[in-house]
Amino acid sequence: MRKLLLSSLAFAIVLNFAASSPQNGQPASGWDLLRKIVLIPGLSSQEGKVMDFIQSTLPSSLKVQRDAKANVWFTVGEGKPHILFVAHSDELGYTVDKITPQGTAILRARGGLLAQTCEARPFVIHTAKGPVEGIIQPKPDYYLSQTALDRAGAQTAAQNPPQSQPSPARVPAQKPLPSPAQKPVPAQAQTPPQGQIQARTAAPAAAEAFEVYLGVSSEQEARALGVAEGDQVLIKKKIVDLAPDIMSTRAVDDRAGCAALLAAALRIDWSKIKTKTVTFAWDVEEEIGLNGAQALAKILKPDYVFAVDTFVSTDSPLESKRFGYAVLGRGAVLRSIDTSNVTPKTEIQKVAKIAEARKIPIQIRNSRGGNDGSVFVADGAVDIPLSWPGAYAHSFIEKIVKSDLEALTNLIAAIVEEWK
Amino acid sequence: MNKKKLSIFAGAALLVVFGAATAAPFEIKDLIRDLISIPSVLGNEEALAAKILSYLPKDITEKDNLGSLFARFGTGEPKIAVLTPLDEYGWFVSGITPDGYLRLDRSGQPHPNFDNYLLGHPVVISTKKGLLYGVVSQPAMHLLTRERREELRNFSLDMAYVDIGVRSEEEAKNKGIEFLDPVTLWPDLSVLANDKWAGPSLGQKAACALVLSLAEDLGKAKLSQEIVLSWMAQTKFSARAGGARSSLGAIRVRRTLQPKRVIIVDVVPADRGEKSPAFGKGPVLILPKEGGLKLKEAVEAIAAENQISLQSQTGAESALLNAFAGEEALTLALPVKFAQTPSEVVDLKDVQSLKTIILQLLQSGRVK
Repeated sequence: MRKLLLSSLAFAIVLNFAASSPQNGQPASGWDLLRKIVLIPGLSSQEGKVMDFIQSTLPSSLKVQRDAKANVWFTVGEGKPHILFVAHSDELGYTVDKITPQGTAILRARGGLLAQTCEARPFVIHTAKGPVEGIIQPKPDYYLSQTALDRAGAQTAAQNPPQSQPSPARVPAQKPLPSPAQKPVPAQAQTPPQGQIQARTAAPAAAEAFEVYLGVSSEQEARALGVAEGDQVLIKKKIVDLAPDIMSTRAVDDRAGCAALLAAALRIDWSKIKTKTVTFAWDVEEEIGLNGAQALAKILKPDYVFAVDTFVSTDSPLESKRFGYAVLGRGAVLRSIDTSNVTPKTEIQKVAKIAEARKIPIQIRNSRGGNDGSVFVADGAVDIPLSWPGAYAHSFIEKIVKSDLEALTNLIAAIVEEWK
Repeated sequence: MNKKKLSIFAGAALLVVFGAATAAPFEIKDLIRDLISIPSVLGNEEALAAKILSYLPKDITEKDNLGSLFARFGTGEPKIAVLTPLDEYGWFVSGITPDGYLRLDRSGQPHPNFDNYLLGHPVVISTKKGLLYGVVSQPAMHLLTRERREELRNFSLDMAYVDIGVRSEEEAKNKGIEFLDPVTLWPDLSVLANDKWAGPSLGQKAACALVLSLAEDLGKAKLSQEIVLSWMAQTKFSARAGGARSSLGAIRVRRTLQPKRVIIVDVVPADRGEKSPAFGKGPVLILPKEGGLKLKEAVEAIAAENQISLQSQTGAESALLNAFAGEEALTLALPVKFAQTPSEVVDLKDVQSLKTIILQLLQSGRVK
């Protein structure tokens, strides 16, 4: 029986490896690469494992370089123009700031997640001993209504009257709230009908107040699990398949960009790139200040930079469609105006022409957010960000459609081959 | 057959062989893992009921028209019932927008901030075509104004839109969506240190697993009285009768079974202040305002014999216990940390301790 089990296991492992390897000589698709790379932990400034994956996926013939920050890149060809494609590998999350005597881990934020969506959720601390699961504790009074909180607050105030009034100089200046005349109060914010309990209106805890419960009751036990200050703490990731070709998960921004770049790198016949210089780069620390790109900008001086990053789409029921309305499923996006860059119209038209010739669907839109390419503009580069339409940006449910990623990959390959 | 399919087939075959060779069918941990992924929203408990029934011999089980399950062992008086809720808090599909997003509503009243946990997270919709996955839309962080962020702090079902990856109401219906389909949080089971697990509705699922785990032992035992295990549907509705608030599901079970001795296996929120049980200090014995003393004596004696630390509460308001007012009844509860959140924490040692107490109580004939 044991031999049968072991043989079956070996058989399954071999076949699974074969199944995930390129089939019939075809390189892995951007979608397949994304489904793997999106699950790898890689908080800003701790992107090592993601870069390991990227490096190990690229063929050795491409002479990949890696700097002290863990930026990874390769360059092919020679001459002008020098075109650079860059995607960032880091993601949002937290680090362990300290461990309490009770064995919980206090967190520090790295990047902008919506704090209220983290409460009472499972997170993973990536320690030197391996992943350790924990729960970000909800506020102690999470189960109380606003009415109950107000009542408790009033009781506390009555029991503890202030001893003296603070001097006016010590009261911090307050930004005035919107006047009630300007902002009509929605019905649900008024006194609830009898019998209904009003949900709380108090602000959720700031990220710095988050504590992770690990199931232990002392600092010693927590450290014995492997937890240490500086460890990256990320949501327990899962890929939610809304459809066979639509997924939702954390870190699509910008692992989709990384995957598209990887897939294009595997697809392009690099031996034919001779009359221009092409660099593909995967950089670090974009979410905390474009730091990786700044390091690369000291050594790479491209004429054009194509930052491959999320297009923050308003294709969602909670967003105004006034801008940013790039529809998921309708193709790649030229992120023509964002918070850090305005792409010249002549360059937009160049890309659009290439896309049209190859029948690659694209959308030309504007949205918000900065991009790594903007760092190279001061040295003379033109920044032309390329994207896919992504809904729910910087949430745990970032959404992407397979055909859009495919269009982006094809667009990258087309630009490499056609750009003059 | 291509390589990928062959690989999946080989893996599945391996799992079947391994499963047959190694799993104990009523191991509590395995039962909890099995049950946590099955939704059982108040009024829609049939999937969980079917799963529990699949573990039990057909000739000892029955269901009522509310959805409650019963498994009977032994004969003789007085009849003892071991009861636990089958239902959990959740939502249901109350609308579909023209562009295919689902709207939600909820039955039952958990704590006031329960709906907040939906924002920006995946959910599971139980449809006639099987389980479907969706995500509750969240505005992009880059586009959040200060005003919008304030609004989100008061997140309510009015702002909840479930994205299932379609573009129209027709597409949603083609996927199997119907009005009133139950909706639950993603059944994320987290394994923490020291035998503590966390997940949505984990306390209730652990209680169901605990009661189910009794069945195997009871099926083999020589019993001197009738014992009925019951998983009660719709316990989170109140029965509309005079007197103290009573659970509808429990009242119905009382009328069906008419037990003389009642042990309710439930969950109790822990770490909520002075009057609340503490997490990590053992299971909780909850007595009604009157009665239950004989059972209490027997439970405490067994706990002492097995060196099980027991916390106790008397006179706590309990809709389940109120349903059995006048009978010899008490509750044995699992203390749960972060109750009614996506990550309820249960100490598996408490689950095992309760199983030990209840099984010895039932097999010993001390409850006469």
